[in-house]
Amino acid sequence: MSKITTAPQPSRLSLFWHKWRFHINVLLLLIPLGFMPKYFADAALFRGDAGLGEREIGEIQVGPWSLRLAELRNEAPRSDGPAGYLKAFSAALCTACVEPVKATYLRIGKPRSLRAAGVIFFGTPYRMGTQLPVPVKTPADAELWITMEGWDGSMHQASIPLSQASPATIAWLNKQGAKP
Amino acid sequence: MSCSYRLLRLHLSTALLVLSAGFSASALAHNPMCECKAIDAEQIKCTGGFSDGSGAPGVTLDVIGYDETILVPGKLGSDSTLTFKKPGAEFYVLFDAGPGHVVEIDQADIEAP
Repeated sequence: MSKITTAPQPSRLSLFWHKWRFHINVLLLLIPLGFMPKYFADAALFRGDAGLGEREIGEIQVGPWSLRLAELRNEAPRSDGPAGYLKAFSAALCTACVEPVKATYLRIGKPRSLRAAGVIFFGTPYRMGTQLPVPVKTPADAELWITMEGWDGSMHQASIPLSQASPATIAWLNKQGAKP
Repeated sequence: MSCSYRLLRLHLSTALLVLSAGFSASALAHNPMCECKAIDAEQIKCTGGFSDGSGAPGVTLDVIGYDETILVPGKLGSDSTLTFKKPGAEFYVLFDAGPGHVVEIDQADIEAP
């Protein structure tokens, strides 16, 4: 009676793993490289190296002041759950308005009062940002109103067509209207 | 023994990683939001809050006429709601959590009971 017992044969998966594990791990290290272009594009956008935003709208005169407005991303508004859809805009005040301007607001439709002037731009005056709520039922010919409030209590307003401010939002609104 | 300990440690660190990934997204936005409903023919109930799920107790909620007179100056209660009598004149509701953090609700957008 022989007492020799053979060791169990390793499974095929185990053989494969032991043969290729180093190569597989090198491949895992390569995966992040695929995300690098998007990462650097986003980093440049948020640092301001790529300008104010993905799509510059231009210089807008608001009374004695002016600001450069841009869409942070050239895309439709993003959903923020129960708060509705939000569209991110960036702005930079003109050099002469950095000191006198206290606050800048953005709203779809003419504000009823300074209290209801819309969302406020926050951040450094050279590169401010805000997220504008865009109601789904906004008409395609709506206007984007900019309200600027000075430290001296003065208030100035200007408006541009929403179609000029964000064609991507208008395209999105038209698609919403098509829904039953 | 040491094998099961290693496995436990692996599971714990995986769970921690998944949890931190989940919580990082919730710190992104807290936009103001407000919803108003007519609870009967006479009364309107408004609920305020923020999109990160937090409530808004004590936040100002004014009912303002189209002529900009404040018809009902109010603050949300501890349950983040305020119930008021429907004004006779045309009005809108302004949830005011500070400059630039407002929500306007026109009377036309208030759901009937």
